[in-house]
Amino acid sequence: MAKRFVTTKVEIEGREETKVVELPSRNPAPWGEDAALHIVGRRITRMDALEKVTGDARYTADIQLPGMLHAAILRAPIACGRVTQLDMSAALELDGVRGAVSIADVPDVTLDGVRLFDRTIHYAGQPLAAICADSLEIAERALDAVNWECAHDPHVVTADQALAEDAPNVRSTGNMARNTPRIINRGDVEAGLRDAEVTITRTYRTPTALHTALEPHGAAAEWSGGVLTVWESTQGIFNTRADVAKTFALPLSSVRVIKNYMGGGFGAKNGASHATYIAVALTKKLGRPVRCILDRDGEQTDSGNRPATTQHVTLGAKRDGSLTAMKVESTTSLGMGGWLAGPGKIYHELYRCPNVHTVETFAYMNTGAMASFRAPGHVEGAFGLECAMDALARELGLDPLELRRRNYADRDQDKGRVYSNKRLDACYRQGAHRFGWGRARTQEQAQSGRMRRGVGMASLIWGAGGGPPAYATVRINRDGTIEVLSGAQDLGTGARTVLAQIAAEVLGAKIGDVRTVLGDTERLPFASNSWGSITTASVGPAVRVAAEEARDSLFEAAAGMFGAAPSDLESKDSEIHARGHDRCILIREVCEKLGDVMIIGQGSRGPNPDKTAIAAFGAQFAEVEVDTETGRVRVLRIVAAHDSGRIINPTLAESQLEGGIIQGLGYALFEERVLDVRLGLPLNPTMHDYKIPTMVDIPAIDAFFVESADPVANHIGAKGLAEPPIIGTAPAIANAVAHALGVEVVEIPLTPWRVLKALAGRAI
Amino acid sequence: MRLIVNGALYDLSAPGHETLLATIRDRLHLTGTKLVCGRGECGACTVLLDGRSAYSCLTLTAACDGVSITTIEGVGNAGLHPVQAAFIEHDATQCGFCTPGQILAAISLLRECGNPDEDDVRRGMSGNLCRCGTYPKIVRAVLASVDQGPSHG
Repeated sequence: MAKRFVTTKVEIEGREETKVVELPSRNPAPWGEDAALHIVGRRITRMDALEKVTGDARYTADIQLPGMLHAAILRAPIACGRVTQLDMSAALELDGVRGAVSIADVPDVTLDGVRLFDRTIHYAGQPLAAICADSLEIAERALDAVNWECAHDPHVVTADQALAEDAPNVRSTGNMARNTPRIINRGDVEAGLRDAEVTITRTYRTPTALHTALEPHGAAAEWSGGVLTVWESTQGIFNTRADVAKTFALPLSSVRVIKNYMGGGFGAKNGASHATYIAVALTKKLGRPVRCILDRDGEQTDSGNRPATTQHVTLGAKRDGSLTAMKVESTTSLGMGGWLAGPGKIYHELYRCPNVHTVETFAYMNTGAMASFRAPGHVEGAFGLECAMDALARELGLDPLELRRRNYADRDQDKGRVYSNKRLDACYRQGAHRFGWGRARTQEQAQSGRMRRGVGMASLIWGAGGGPPAYATVRINRDGTIEVLSGAQDLGTGARTVLAQIAAEVLGAKIGDVRTVLGDTERLPFASNSWGSITTASVGPAVRVAAEEARDSLFEAAAGMFGAAPSDLESKDSEIHARGHDRCILIREVCEKLGDVMIIGQGSRGPNPDKTAIAAFGAQFAEVEVDTETGRVRVLRIVAAHDSGRIINPTLAESQLEGGIIQGLGYALFEERVLDVRLGLPLNPTMHDYKIPTMVDIPAIDAFFVESADPVANHIGAKGLAEPPIIGTAPAIANAVAHALGVEVVEIPLTPWRVLKALAGRAI
Repeated sequence: MRLIVNGALYDLSAPGHETLLATIRDRLHLTGTKLVCGRGECGACTVLLDGRSAYSCLTLTAACDGVSITTIEGVGNAGLHPVQAAFIEHDATQCGFCTPGQILAAISLLRECGNPDEDDVRRGMSGNLCRCGTYPKIVRAVLASVDQGPSHG
């Protein structure tokens, strides 16, 4: 008998994990390039659009429970020091105030190296206590009545400060994560540089960027009937459940986490947060439901960020452009914690190069911890790598696209594996064609006037294969309606719709007869966090298996009604036909006959293929206009060609591409957390001062897929697509600016000041 | 005071400093209107006051005596408003958190502008932020509802 549980490796956001996997009950034949599919691949309307346009969609911040109290968080006003006094008695006496929690009231829970409500202050914005009242307004006013004092200690809020010899310790273990840089080496980089006929060296800088999800982190918690229910704005209900159960020493079966709708995550909402622990601690202490939602300042200072990087890059190449060496020394400004998503990885992956050496240093400092932010590491690294490739192309006198083509990687460079499918070549071809790259590159640039135009491009890679474990259940009700159940999350990506399309495809049902239910740990089988662009490729195959099981049962029941064999049946538009029979029977009619017999199919996600690399690819092209007097950069148009395997729903997928490109545009032009280095305080924790793109900033965007099913990756042929589009945008824009000005701007965001500074550095 | 919300009359007394956003969400439990920044920076709390868009987080309830207030729950009489229908058709929503504010801003713009072109839409709605980057689809949806003729909320 074949083994049912196997161990396999799964890659998520560049991190490889070993997991035990339950093999699915069946391995359907992959939907290849020529599979005849009717609903998969169609532009089905987003299934929860109606709720969203009518205001019916209830988010965590909208949860109202009888007797519910509201919590507000007292935060540290300095970057480093100690709380010397914290007296909440006056606050607790105010009308409507119901209670408070500080360090004595919560279990020992440590996030990113900082214990919740620690009396030692590690960063400005660190929670010190929380107060709970009948209304949020009362709770916030009560914060002002807390009698507190704190003493300053010297802080470090830049990587340079943190890594200086005489720097005070940010963490007891030192200011460098692992106490040593992470060195990843392939080949012999010094030999590669000696072989090079041309080398370029540059230093690139990227900013600390803030997720700025419109719905802040938050939770509502209630104890009832021995069960703790937590409504949470999260990308991972099961992760959140595990965090809460562990912290409060509860059995997993006594904790229920629900996420129905969420107002944006972008990587920062992957488990229980401060707000979760505070809501649970308060509901436990006070016996009433409690809602704790971060305010905007809290969200902007204490909910994660994309960390700033400095990248010293040396590229070596032969005269024909073939890369001989890439050498990178980088520093990432982690803040108090987070994980080591470095910029180095993409240098090892994107191009064919035998000698690559990256030295990544990660600095702890007295600022809020980093958190995954849409393609963490790769976005930062792609800016350095892709700008350096353009610098090399200029040095060689080669077209930037041609240089990239000459360094095309046929195999995964890191481990030498073959790719399940790679259509980056088609992205180059079709993207360049739709952009008019050749003409735009060579046309006479207005290089003397005030307004100058230029074009640039960048390519990208992202490991987006998805993987196990993921489970799904498909149920058919007695009226013929179908439910797809899985403990995944729809972050606004369209997972509800896409998973329903897969089930409808298999069952031959009308899409309107299918409903997807996600986001409830108590009612749904396990699926992992919706992160790393994995949901479609992870959960989709499980849904397909579950739907096939359900279809087999349905056909078995229907076969008797036709007097035919189940294998002679097929279904379409919720009607079942039998070969050689004229009449058709509705799925509903079969189910009505069955009465309360419920057809249930179960599916799971099997392992990814051995010795095969799975990645999404893309190429983006940008045209900009730069005002040389004001330094203002305007992006005129962007063309983005992406390979993400089979696209289940082109409309929703294109929305993801546009969204990623627009976030990338913000990263390129506007977005930067600014700190007062002397005080150690964030200066722009508001949406007015931290600039995200608005509707007037948006160029014409032509984003499309070089569609090609990837049946080797998994049996639905899909790869991930949410993160890839943000990776290429900033370097494509920066390269276009360099093309327009004839001078490189090596630091983003490309603010007027930086552009003018770069122009001033060159005599014009 | 008398508050008229989505055509229904409410008799209530709100303290002078209470924002219309707090009244709508916490007293009337109409949660389609969202709190995002709380200081007029993002537009997620947009409502209509006598048909014109306003940030409810910067509007005091006490100043709304007798004003006709429309929230997302009051948009569309029988069925969907053409702007709502266009948002669905053009996939002008991702996470959906900014969507109610976007729709009310669009309705107000169409009412004031009559026949806006793309530039009018971009400028007129630049006070409504979307972090998912749904802007291209929103512009398309609003322009499509112009094509459908006059639409008044």
